[in-house]
Amino acid sequence: MKILVVDDFSTMRRIIKNLLRDLGFNNTVEADDGLTALPILQAGGIDFLVTDWNMPGMQGIDLLKAVRADENLSTIPVLMVTAETKREQIIVAAQAGVNGYVVKPFTAATLKEKIDKIFERIDAQ
Amino acid sequence: MDINKTEQIEAARALIIALESDDEQQAKQQLIILTQSQESELFHEVGKLTRELHESMSNFNVDSRLVDLTKNDMPNTRERLNYVITTTEDAAHKTLGFIDQTLPLASDLKQTAEKINQSWHRFRMKEMSADEFRSLSKEIEIYLPEVTRHSEQIHANLSEMMLAQGFQDLTGQVIRQVINLVEEVENNLVQLVKLASKHRDEEPKKDKQVDAIKAEGPQINAADNPNVMNDQDEVDDLLSSLGF
Repeated sequence: MKILVVDDFSTMRRIIKNLLRDLGFNNTVEADDGLTALPILQAGGIDFLVTDWNMPGMQGIDLLKAVRADENLSTIPVLMVTAETKREQIIVAAQAGVNGYVVKPFTAATLKEKIDKIFERIDAQ
Repeated sequence: MDINKTEQIEAARALIIALESDDEQQAKQQLIILTQSQESELFHEVGKLTRELHESMSNFNVDSRLVDLTKNDMPNTRERLNYVITTTEDAAHKTLGFIDQTLPLASDLKQTAEKINQSWHRFRMKEMSADEFRSLSKEIEIYLPEVTRHSEQIHANLSEMMLAQGFQDLTGQVIRQVINLVEEVENNLVQLVKLASKHRDEEPKKDKQVDAIKAEGPQINAADNPNVMNDQDEVDDLLSSLGF
């Protein structure tokens, strides 16, 4: 399981990577916004995408839309980890096909719960 | 009343003559003529300044963005900077708290390990009685599960300390917004200075389109805004109401 973690703040990428390692996901790669994330995704081999929303360059919501629009990537589960908490934003993310939405600041338990739920749904399909 | 240079010189000459001939009344009259010329220049300057100020003020009103910046963005920035203080303070206290919790666990493990190590050494040197060995076995039996428990706790505390560092991302987003605002204020002030020195007709700026999903970073007054989710539970509720 290879996970791409996208956030413009290196501290947050580090935190998420460490938490994922605790959950048993050791294979992670990083990108600092949508523009750098897309080529990594397109190169193949990414099984799971964790992304922030508010980033310079390409924002997380646009990255999500780009992933869903690309037939090679459209089925990758996407977990959004963000400080954006407006009703419209969450609705738009849901409509764009996000698989989970974690609000910053978050706890290790929340991250685990959302990731578990995403995999449960995938396994059930 | 305006008088020209020749009239000024004439008045000055007449003033000297009047003074030399002790003609007080004539001297006073010439002095009045001279002062009037100065006053009139002063009035002219004041008039010019007033007009410039008036023009600047009307331009100031036209540039609604600057008014908006002063009315809304500036107080908002104070709140944002206060948010940075509170968030960094919370994170520092949280981290220090977990350090306080973790240090005794580590030193507890170390002390017991040292004690057992000494006894174990005596056992290996065959310096230990059977009773003492039974007591050592008991100690080791208690110690090993304690190592597991303490290590788990230390791991959990370290994870919490790591999570607390998330403040850097949250405050970083807010500080970026403040930097953008400072830049905008600076540009507007430069514009204002330009306008004050030279009147210019500018087309009124079009109102910015409101983008409902524009990224805003952490919400500073989430509790006051019904459109903002306060925590993960509210987000989960909203998503499940959407059939998620």
